Amino acid sequence: MLIRKLIYIGLPLLLSLTGCMKDDELWEFEKPAYDIPYAGIFVINEGNFMYGNASLTYYDPETRQVINDVFFLTNALPLGDVAHSMTIRDSLAYVVINNSGRIYIFNKNTFKVKGKITGLTSPRYMHFISETKAYVTDLYARSIAVVNPQTMEVTGAIPVSNSNGDFYQHATEQMLQCDRFVYTNCWSYDKQVLVIDSEKDRVVDSIEVRKQPNSMVLDRNNALWVLCDGGTEGSPYGTEAGGLLRIGAGSTEADLVLGFSPGEMPRDLKINGTGDTLYYINGDVYQYAIFGSAGPELLVESPYEGSILGGFYGLEVDPLSSELYVADAIDFVQRGMVYRFNPEGMAIDTFKTGIAPGSFCFNF
Amino acid sequence: MRRVACIIAMTGLLVSPLRSQGMQDSVYAIQEVAITKERIFVKEQAGMKQTHVDSVVLQNKASLSLSDLLSENTSVFVKSHGRGALATASFRGTSPSHTQVSWNGININSPMAGMVDFSLIPVYIIDELKLNHGSASLADRSGGIGGSININNRADWNEKYSIAYLQGLGSYSTFDEFMQVGVGNKKIQSKTRLYHNYSENDYTFINHGIASIDPVSGAITNPIDTNDHASYLRYGLLQEIYYRPGANHLLSLKYWGQFADRTIPKPTSYEGPDNSNLNSQEDRDHRLVADWKYYGDFGKLLLRSGYADKGLDYNQMNQVPGLGLIPAIWSESRQQSLYNTFSYAGGTDEDLSWEGSIDLNYHKVGSADSVSGAGYEGQRNELSTMFTVRKSFKDRVNLNLMLRQEWVDGIRLPFIPYFGMDLRLIEGVDLLLKGNIARNYHLPTLNDLYWQPGGNPDLLPEEGFTVEGGLAYQQTFSGHLLSTELSLYRSQIDNWIIWIPSYRGYWEPRNIRSVLSKGLEYSMQLQGYLSDFNYRLSATYGYSSAVNQGDPLIWSDKSYGKQLVYIPLHSGNMMAQLGWGNLFLTYQFNAYSERYTTSSNDVSRRDRLYPYFMNDISAGSTFRLKRVDLSLEFKVYNLLNESYHTILYRPMPGRNYQLVFKIQI
Repeated sequence: MLIRKLIYIGLPLLLSLTGCMKDDELWEFEKPAYDIPYAGIFVINEGNFMYGNASLTYYDPETRQVINDVFFLTNALPLGDVAHSMTIRDSLAYVVINNSGRIYIFNKNTFKVKGKITGLTSPRYMHFISETKAYVTDLYARSIAVVNPQTMEVTGAIPVSNSNGDFYQHATEQMLQCDRFVYTNCWSYDKQVLVIDSEKDRVVDSIEVRKQPNSMVLDRNNALWVLCDGGTEGSPYGTEAGGLLRIGAGSTEADLVLGFSPGEMPRDLKINGTGDTLYYINGDVYQYAIFGSAGPELLVESPYEGSILGGFYGLEVDPLSSELYVADAIDFVQRGMVYRFNPEGMAIDTFKTGIAPGSFCFNF
Repeated sequence: MRRVACIIAMTGLLVSPLRSQGMQDSVYAIQEVAITKERIFVKEQAGMKQTHVDSVVLQNKASLSLSDLLSENTSVFVKSHGRGALATASFRGTSPSHTQVSWNGININSPMAGMVDFSLIPVYIIDELKLNHGSASLADRSGGIGGSININNRADWNEKYSIAYLQGLGSYSTFDEFMQVGVGNKKIQSKTRLYHNYSENDYTFINHGIASIDPVSGAITNPIDTNDHASYLRYGLLQEIYYRPGANHLLSLKYWGQFADRTIPKPTSYEGPDNSNLNSQEDRDHRLVADWKYYGDFGKLLLRSGYADKGLDYNQMNQVPGLGLIPAIWSESRQQSLYNTFSYAGGTDEDLSWEGSIDLNYHKVGSADSVSGAGYEGQRNELSTMFTVRKSFKDRVNLNLMLRQEWVDGIRLPFIPYFGMDLRLIEGVDLLLKGNIARNYHLPTLNDLYWQPGGNPDLLPEEGFTVEGGLAYQQTFSGHLLSTELSLYRSQIDNWIIWIPSYRGYWEPRNIRSVLSKGLEYSMQLQGYLSDFNYRLSATYGYSSAVNQGDPLIWSDKSYGKQLVYIPLHSGNMMAQLGWGNLFLTYQFNAYSERYTTSSNDVSRRDRLYPYFMNDISAGSTFRLKRVDLSLEFKVYNLLNESYHTILYRPMPGRNYQLVFKIQI
């Protein structure tokens, strides 16, 4: 009798508690259809390591329209874990997702996913050599992957290991091309820029710079500028003063070195569209007219108090307007901000992005 | 300690008998149910919010980890990174390092990271589990701004010999073996526990992090993936020896050693080569504690020494063509701690007692990554003195004043006072009005101070000021026992440490946040019998508002006034047990409201975790064959087969099963 009562009372009670956690709602929703015919800027938001919350923000400088999380909203597909960089070739965008070991390919106007390149260990940047060949640098693979963007397959590898047992060397980073030579900076525990012959797909030379070259650009004379942060304080790899180095076209030696003070960690070297003005972050944003007589000048002051904090995490210069975009990751666990400045450093606009905005990609 | 107990003889059987405290290992089927009314009006506990986890619960969860028990049976919030993976606990919205954990009186928080991984503590090794919420933790030590969790073992002096074995067989190739051998007499007792737990943990899930993409239509299909690289192994030994040379002396020696090896799953979105991004972690623990207790005419003396040694290795491997598997991270750390306690509890007077104690602890840690070469070595000396006096007035009022003074590496910390009070509202009725006011400090961890790169030696201790109050009620009525407690608290925590990135490119800890934590905790327990059935029902509910009130970093910082990440506003659980004859049934329910993953509490589709509701059910039977007691239980976890995650992009298993077999001679 009591058992029956218990069943009558207990079972409905049990079923009434059926929670149905709302997992499906994350993936099943009305997907907006975009078709952006005009130029704009993508902000690549890294997201948090192991949280899988990387995202893309689209910004139209003309209308100041901002669309956050465009890739996920369009495709109901999360970008992945730590988006690192993006390259656009014709109508397709290639976004490199570092800790997901892949590159997603999508239409730059509709944001609709077209395919992916997988099998990459810890990819960082993608650089096109031709329609059928591109290089992908890597943090841990000790090689640069050669991929075919058309078939979306990895077709080969360029070994870059230097068999240094003490440090994990030749983690390759950004790429720049001058004629058939591709330059790549080895940032982590390293002080080299490798030179790769893109016809032979192998390393043919190297340039020694200062410790931890983190970014580089080519100026209008094809001189290579490399920004080195000098290494992390307390690191067994050691530190030296950071430096901005110029290596003349075709040379393997620096012919100009601008040193930084010990403890300064400059990053994000960029160049304007005419190839004559450099920009970088050193706590604040600096500008350096390389053919002028003046040295680097403070352009945008960081809003952060004191010298320790600084959420300035990414920088880009519009190649046409020379306007500046500065990404601020704030505390890295909330949506970041992008500040847009005119070439004189006056604020024009600000907008919210995804979590940890780190780099930009122009869509023309 | 006086104990008011009423034993109700019954023909039925309870899930597991409550014979005496510390007998959770028993699988005997006794023809009686002990409904024990705890003494709640105790001057030594005046004003304190405490939870004594029932031995019935300890036994029911014996084959699980303490993280499961805490989340399902207490108001502590557990953030779990998955089955068998890192699980940290927070009281009242505070951080995991604000939960102080002790094993037989020695603190087992990592001196490096400050916290405890509760997935590494098997419930099987626990005889007594006591939680001190909020400032009540000051009775144990400072630093428990959220609270403290005390794990104890105790002797059973009635034991002559016993052997017990528990075998669990579960989904995803999960095997749990526990064994216990007890031998002794009225003078000396030995208890040995051995355990071995392994799980392949290879459940399947729809992987929303990966898609196959139709190149023409762009249509995506998510694969069904296996939770690879997520296995865990844990084995250990707990040895206890108790010696009672005379009526006044008790000596004990306890050793707990454990080895754990876990592979940490890759991000679910990972599409790199199979043999890359392989992460694993190994934990090796040795803990030893020796006690001498002397019960004199005027008081109780305790001398305790302990030693803890923890090794923790973490590595990440990648396949490099031509070179093989190459480590990208190879981090090894060792943490050694020495503990000494001297305490004297005086005052045999029913109305007045006092206690003084001195703790002298030493920690030494070293951490090194052989790939990057980065690492640090650090040490710390801690001296803590405590004096407490309690007074009871006519069985109506209890007062407790506790004063602590501590020194770290010779530097004096601010004074830590606690004042608590109980008021019996109606004479002869267990209805108490309780409250306390206290200050507390939490030292930066050694990682906070010295980690390379980033450690900040200039950090200040986190500083808490807490006021709390509540009502406790307990009543028996015709074979039923109801105990219930409601607490309200308000804690202001300043100099809260968070790690934030610096422009140098690495993260640094700073005393940047100020957190106001306020809320309530409610717990209820009802047990007794109905006709041929005996039952036990327990539930907790917590409301925890933990809000950041630190200065915004800049104007666009939207974290001010927002709930801390991963802390639910509402949490609750319920456990219902029913016994009939030699059959028993257990139902477990656990729920959390949504949790934010951003400091700004963005309510976007992706940056929050939807509310969590979990149902488990189990049924079993106990029986006796000659002198052997047997028990068989079948458990169903995630009864409703929910697809869910509790950490972003880390899917959890669907409905799964476990068979638990126990035998005791």
